[in-house]
Amino acid sequence: MSHYDEMTFLQYLEGNLERARSLELSAHTQHCDACRALLGVLQRETHLLTHALREQDEAVPARLFNPVRERISWAWVLSFGMAAAGIYWFVTTYDQLSTGLTEAGIGKTDLMSTLFFNGVTMKGWSSMWTAAQWLAVVSLGVIGFMLVRKSMRRWNTIALVMSALVAALGMPLGAAAADIKHSEASYTLKAGETVKTDLIVFGNSIQIDGTVEGDLIVFGQNVTVNGHVMGDALVCASMLTVTANGTVDGSVRYAGGNFILSGKVGRSMLVGTGTLTANPGSEVAWGVTFGAGNVFLNGRIGRDILGGGGHINLNGYVGGNIRLHGDAPVDIGSSTEVLGKIEVKGPKPPEIASGAKLASAPVFTLVKRDTDTFSSFSWWHKLLAWGASFVFGLVLVLLVPAFFDDTVRTANRFGVSLGVGLLLLAGIPLAALLACITIVGLSVGVPTIFLYLLLIYGGKVFVAAWLGRMLMGKDGFAGVMIGIGGQRVIKTPAILGHLAVGLAILYALRMIPYIGGWITFAVVVWGLGAVGVTVFKRLSSRSAPVTAPAPVTA
Amino acid sequence: MEQQKRSEGMSAAELQVLADCIARARSGSLEAWGDLYRDFAGPIFRFCRRTMPTREDAEDATTEIFMKLREKIGMYDQSRPFQAWLYKVAANHCWDLLRRRRTRQDLETEGVDEMPLEHPDPSALDKLLEDRSSQDMRTALARLPSRARMALVLRYYSDMSYDEIADTLGVRRNFVGVVLLRARHQLREALGERGSMGAAAGRTQ
Repeated sequence: MSHYDEMTFLQYLEGNLERARSLELSAHTQHCDACRALLGVLQRETHLLTHALREQDEAVPARLFNPVRERISWAWVLSFGMAAAGIYWFVTTYDQLSTGLTEAGIGKTDLMSTLFFNGVTMKGWSSMWTAAQWLAVVSLGVIGFMLVRKSMRRWNTIALVMSALVAALGMPLGAAAADIKHSEASYTLKAGETVKTDLIVFGNSIQIDGTVEGDLIVFGQNVTVNGHVMGDALVCASMLTVTANGTVDGSVRYAGGNFILSGKVGRSMLVGTGTLTANPGSEVAWGVTFGAGNVFLNGRIGRDILGGGGHINLNGYVGGNIRLHGDAPVDIGSSTEVLGKIEVKGPKPPEIASGAKLASAPVFTLVKRDTDTFSSFSWWHKLLAWGASFVFGLVLVLLVPAFFDDTVRTANRFGVSLGVGLLLLAGIPLAALLACITIVGLSVGVPTIFLYLLLIYGGKVFVAAWLGRMLMGKDGFAGVMIGIGGQRVIKTPAILGHLAVGLAILYALRMIPYIGGWITFAVVVWGLGAVGVTVFKRLSSRSAPVTAPAPVTA
Repeated sequence: MEQQKRSEGMSAAELQVLADCIARARSGSLEAWGDLYRDFAGPIFRFCRRTMPTREDAEDATTEIFMKLREKIGMYDQSRPFQAWLYKVAANHCWDLLRRRRTRQDLETEGVDEMPLEHPDPSALDKLLEDRSSQDMRTALARLPSRARMALVLRYYSDMSYDEIADTLGVRRNFVGVVLLRARHQLREALGERGSMGAAAGRTQ
């Protein structure tokens, strides 16, 4: 008697056999002992196997069930906390910082920060404190919002925020005590006309022939001041001209490409620009602070000059001290008259024309453009920089491990990160500027700038951790793993190892001549983008569950 | 049929609760995610424990699988049983991990024809299985090659269909039966080595 084979029995037991063949087999087992026995024992085997697999023989590890906690709030609380701390620190150390930044050559490093720091203080210390208080209120509001957020649906949340924004923008302009001109291709305040409040203008070509009794705040292409601004002028434009008839009673803050001053400034000037020209006949009653590529100071400056730039030419009157940091020799022309001291840092001593009237000989300090990469000081400096970055990363890993890990994962998507990074690099300062000059206010704009600078500095830790993980990671193993429901496995040594190695490699790459700078730039953009994408994902995907730190060292 | 099998043990009301929970999780409710996690972390952990070499691997894989689920919940087709989808994601992840560790055997080229058609001696097999505890079975399972172990887990733990197993393991549908049968043979060998029993499969006709 022939028997069915084991495979056929298995298919029969699994219900995979055709019906006719199943019936045939079933009938066969009725009278074939061997096949019936085999069927029985295979069934038993299946049962044993299934039972063995499904038996709950060991408990699910407790760490998979740690308490669930909202994690995004950490990132926000931390951000606002840092911003508040930054404000406080800034307020208390403003003077040193301002000097330090200027001496470092603000035009070449972070013009934005200087512009804003000074912009904020245009109204004096009181507004700084107001800003800090506002920030505290906003932080509290955000924390409160995070707490109730769980019960709100995402679209409701977005609708609420948008409504609030629309309501805020739609508020009567009088509330801002400013005359705001939006989206006008060309704007002219005619001679004889007077704006009694602040004047805020967005436009291509802007001409001020009349009188502004408050501050003038302008975003545009070509800006000409031919009239009288009784307050300060805050201008962001590719070209600013203050004509011989133009007068600004307060201070001038300018960011842009080209600034020509022929008229009078009642207080000080803070300028970040490609070219700064103060023509003969121009006058600045107080001091001038600048970061610029080419500088021609041929007019009269009542007090000190602090500045950094490429080519600096002096050929006018300076009532105070001069401190300059130039990449090229500073030219001191024959019409120059300086009552105070002159300090110059740069690659070469200043060139002084005969006829220049200087109260004392300039003090020159040689500063090479690039310090020797391989000197011991440089190595020590780099080691310190590496250490500082590592500590920054360490703090992030400990405080917001889930966010850190998410961002490192995001960094793995180069294209998106770089694209978004470029967008943010240009977009955040613009948004902050808009926030500062519109009704949204300084309390949003200034913290945004702080966060921006923090990201510019800190973005590299995510790229470094990614790099380290790529090089050292086993099976793509993540140093931090987050699961839904709150569990987290932090392999702290692993992620710190990744961070340390990644940072070391990044710092080494930065030392490569020529391309080092580009690498630094790419890393900044990359890190910024990774953070941006991660924050966006977290805001847009509220499904993000939760995690509570439950460190388990590897 | 699969749906019935996988949903057995759940009442209509419970199924409705689960469906609601999934819908809320899809729309971003953290609480719903927490509920799903609490309900399924155990089964998924045990799945990983059966397929992965060590307990730590299983824990790590469980967390990673739920990360994936979070990303992929939008792709879940609600007309299909949730557990089936869950195990599919888990199986793919674990199989991928094993593949990356190069512990997978590449036997895909072997055809059905090469599997001898056997009629093992029922009494020998019966004797082999006699007094075997679940722990004995699990110990033997742990000694199997990755693919054999994975196939048995997919079929008898996750209750996957042959089509799903074929898809997960990347083998032809016709070959799944062979993989499972060979896995059983290997399991018997492992059981036999452990105990004093010899090979169970006696060849007949």
